Amino acid sequence: MRLLPAFLLAMGVALPAHAQGTGNIFVSLERSNEIVVLSPEHEIIARIETSRRPRDMHFNDDHTLLYVACGDDDVIDIIDMATFEVIDGIPTGPSPEVFAFSPDRTRIYVSNEEDSTLEFIDIATRTVAERVPTGAEPEGVINSVDGGTVYVTSEVADMVHVVDPVTARVTKNIIVGTRPRRFIVTPDGAELWVSDELSSEVHVIDTASQSIKEVLSFQPPGFRPEDVTPVGMAITEDGSRIFISLGRANHIAVIDAATREVEAYILVGSRAWSVALSSDEQTAYVANGLSDDITIIDLTTMTPVESIPVGRTPHSILVDD
Amino acid sequence: MRRVLALVMLVWPFAATAQDQPLADVVIGLVTLQDDPRYIQDWGYARLIVPPPVRSIEGAQMGVEDLAFVSEAMGLVPRMETREVAGDDALPAVQELIAEGALFVLLDLPGEMVETVAAAEPDVTLINISAPDNALRMQCHAGLLHAYPSDRQMMDAFTQYLRFKDWTNVLILEGENPRDSVMADAFVESAERLRIAIADRRSFTLAADPSQREGNNVALLTGGVDYDAVFVADSRGEFGRYVPYSTQEARPVIGSIGMTAEAWHWAMERDGATQVSSRFDQLYGRHMESVDWASWIAVKSILQAYTRAPEQTRAAMTAYMSSDDMALDGSKGVQINYRPWSGQLRMPVLLATADAVIVVAPVEGFLHETNVLDTLGIDQPELSCP
Repeated sequence: MRLLPAFLLAMGVALPAHAQGTGNIFVSLERSNEIVVLSPEHEIIARIETSRRPRDMHFNDDHTLLYVACGDDDVIDIIDMATFEVIDGIPTGPSPEVFAFSPDRTRIYVSNEEDSTLEFIDIATRTVAERVPTGAEPEGVINSVDGGTVYVTSEVADMVHVVDPVTARVTKNIIVGTRPRRFIVTPDGAELWVSDELSSEVHVIDTASQSIKEVLSFQPPGFRPEDVTPVGMAITEDGSRIFISLGRANHIAVIDAATREVEAYILVGSRAWSVALSSDEQTAYVANGLSDDITIIDLTTMTPVESIPVGRTPHSILVDD
Repeated sequence: MRRVLALVMLVWPFAATAQDQPLADVVIGLVTLQDDPRYIQDWGYARLIVPPPVRSIEGAQMGVEDLAFVSEAMGLVPRMETREVAGDDALPAVQELIAEGALFVLLDLPGEMVETVAAAEPDVTLINISAPDNALRMQCHAGLLHAYPSDRQMMDAFTQYLRFKDWTNVLILEGENPRDSVMADAFVESAERLRIAIADRRSFTLAADPSQREGNNVALLTGGVDYDAVFVADSRGEFGRYVPYSTQEARPVIGSIGMTAEAWHWAMERDGATQVSSRFDQLYGRHMESVDWASWIAVKSILQAYTRAPEQTRAAMTAYMSSDDMALDGSKGVQINYRPWSGQLRMPVLLATADAVIVVAPVEGFLHETNVLDTLGIDQPELSCP
């Protein structure tokens, strides 16, 4: 259990049951302009009004603040987890979609979908420290495990740009599949996985050599390769299992990370995108962009147990663990 | 400090990746027609703008820019080379582009001119970016691809939707332009396949002569018959705009007006379409039209072939483009490539009103044994080369 901020206690502020480490589930809703909050029991406990088109979300270190990139207002909203209110915002370039923090938390690396840049924003001063030009429609952004490299996809250029965060220069372009979207890095830092939405693949990049190590494809029973549009991914803390949402194929693939074998295909909602895990890794949460709901999966039995309507166009899911 | 910064800014960020490869010029040709009647703005009375103001070079140029990073990484230097022809024969212009080194030439020409060039089989791969004629797809010309949808693809989109809505009896109104009857014929052909009945096929005229009122009065044109929808074939658009809300029966209007079939529409907002449309808006200050999308995707397909085909020869790249190996992104949510039998680009077709995309065909429930996109257009078993 993390400590609650002392000043809240001193001020006698009523402490919400939903503070840090609560297991609460946050879902950003692109077209409802809000984040819906569900309790670990899957009850909707709050709706947080945000700027327009909220998408990618991250907590600060102690989970007292939630940052959300809002594409139509060119801002990253900052939400106080004690009050569930937007308390501040960091202006960005046009149409921020996905972001990551620098390892020391002084900077935000954000992909601006409409002007094809990866922006480095200094959090303290709210100024743009660097703008790295990327291929059109940059999306996924992730740090390497050692923090020494930033990776960003360009959906139109079909490539992963390898960016040196110190010099703010692209050091390598790796051509992957068609319409690359999101990333995960394995906990040992050795592999970077990239989902290729329209070529129905996942490219595994060897981070040491910065070259493609393997190309994986998936085909749940009853679907054709072109129906499979992988986007969101999640990985267990020990790196043994990887979860990949298959988009229009309406399934999640559960992959054994070591053998690359598909352990299960699990039926979810329409156009499954974001996928997140509970801290005990017994439950997976999947955002379904076209059916406006989330699917809750019991990972002990690998079965979907519940679908919950949340609001218009769920984009990302984050669990407060 | 300032000097160091300036130096850093001067260095092209990708120099390190490109310098180890020799640079290769990629010349992409584009042939357009001077005073192309399809784009003339003043057919309509009283400065009515009927066809959208299309300049096909713009979509092509955006395709080059969108893939600048890939080209850079691959050591390619792509450049559009255009020719505007004045007469009926575009072949000399195509030959000039071949002499300039083009392996691919985009044709923004009426169907008859595309046919003439393709029949001469110049040593280049041609990509038709604006002619919808079904006949072009059935000639089996080697090296002719089509990035613009065929009439059959567009009409199949309509008839799938009519079937889906159970609007199975359609009144056709057609104009006097030769293109109008081609459109109406294409609709009838598609309707027959999906058992959509044609209630009647009637001709309209723009003449206001009272003795011709059976042909110029919408109420009379749409009376005395039962129907579920009206299909208007009016390529010039001047008559068609008066049909919605004027029909004798309260029925939806589709075809050239009302709900139209498009390769692209600015109101499409899924699958990254918004970003493509807003890039186009920002570059050229207008909406992206179907022809713009076709020239954009044609260039994207060429540059993807240069990047991913096993060899950078015309034969290898053209074969790659017409195979399942190519997963091209047209920002319509599915991977697309050219059909090996007709050279036609597989694609979803948008059925749209002036300000909304009503449905993206293939309409849900229409299935195909290999690829659902092949429920739209001329399928392999239908094609026998002349």
